Amino acid sequence: MKNENSAENMTEQAKKKEKAAPVKKKATQTRKPMPPKLELLFTIVNRDKADVFTALLESFDINLQLVVAAEGTATTEMLRYLGYSDNKKAVIISVIRKDRVEAAMNFLNEKFKTIKNGKGIAYTVPMTGTIGVAIYQFLINSNK
Amino acid sequence: MKQFNHEVIFCIVNSGFSESAMDAAKEYGARGGTVFRARGTANLEAEKLLNIIIQPEKEVVMILVDSTIRDDILHALYRAVGLNTPGQGIAFSLPVDNVIGISSPEEPKTEE
Repeated sequence: MKNENSAENMTEQAKKKEKAAPVKKKATQTRKPMPPKLELLFTIVNRDKADVFTALLESFDINLQLVVAAEGTATTEMLRYLGYSDNKKAVIISVIRKDRVEAAMNFLNEKFKTIKNGKGIAYTVPMTGTIGVAIYQFLINSNK
Repeated sequence: MKQFNHEVIFCIVNSGFSESAMDAAKEYGARGGTVFRARGTANLEAEKLLNIIIQPEKEVVMILVDSTIRDDILHALYRAVGLNTPGQGIAFSLPVDNVIGISSPEEPKTEE
């Protein structure tokens, strides 16, 4: 009898454990993920390649990009005299999710090497604030 | 992707003074910069009160530098194109998280 009782107790305990387990799972499932942070991605490329890079960057959940016409200053005097300097640049300012930065930077690094006349530099600056839920959802591309 | 300790310096100067700003920055180790045009929007009342004229045409010089030389360059910019000079410039720096496309001094050059 004692053995039977202990066996019954064991099964009851096991059942209780099984019942308790899904509650724990639910607790982890209901926890909302942190909203993604945003960064500003600055990409400086030759002006004639600006359209190429903006199109490529769109695949990294980037919904807002600003292209500013700029000039580079790194050319040497001699090149300038010879007329070889191509100092017309474009600064592409993109708002990007922080979790997509690494993929975008690796991709850009590859493209800087492979696209002809497409060498450039890129860096990211953290954004600390934005105002408006709709704008934030637009910037993080939440309607995927 | 390599992570370096870089900062980006933004220097806003009157139109025509970007070269002076770049020359000052290059003296302290900056290798290059990017210049774009902008328009300043000063408070008209403040202009009248202080009896100064603020030229609306501006140039913004953006220089990506190693954080070790940031202070030297900011001081050089202040001396060369600061608010007390005709360049009437202001300069500030922002931290940079990731950088690609510039070679570091430590990186050995690869032969092609």
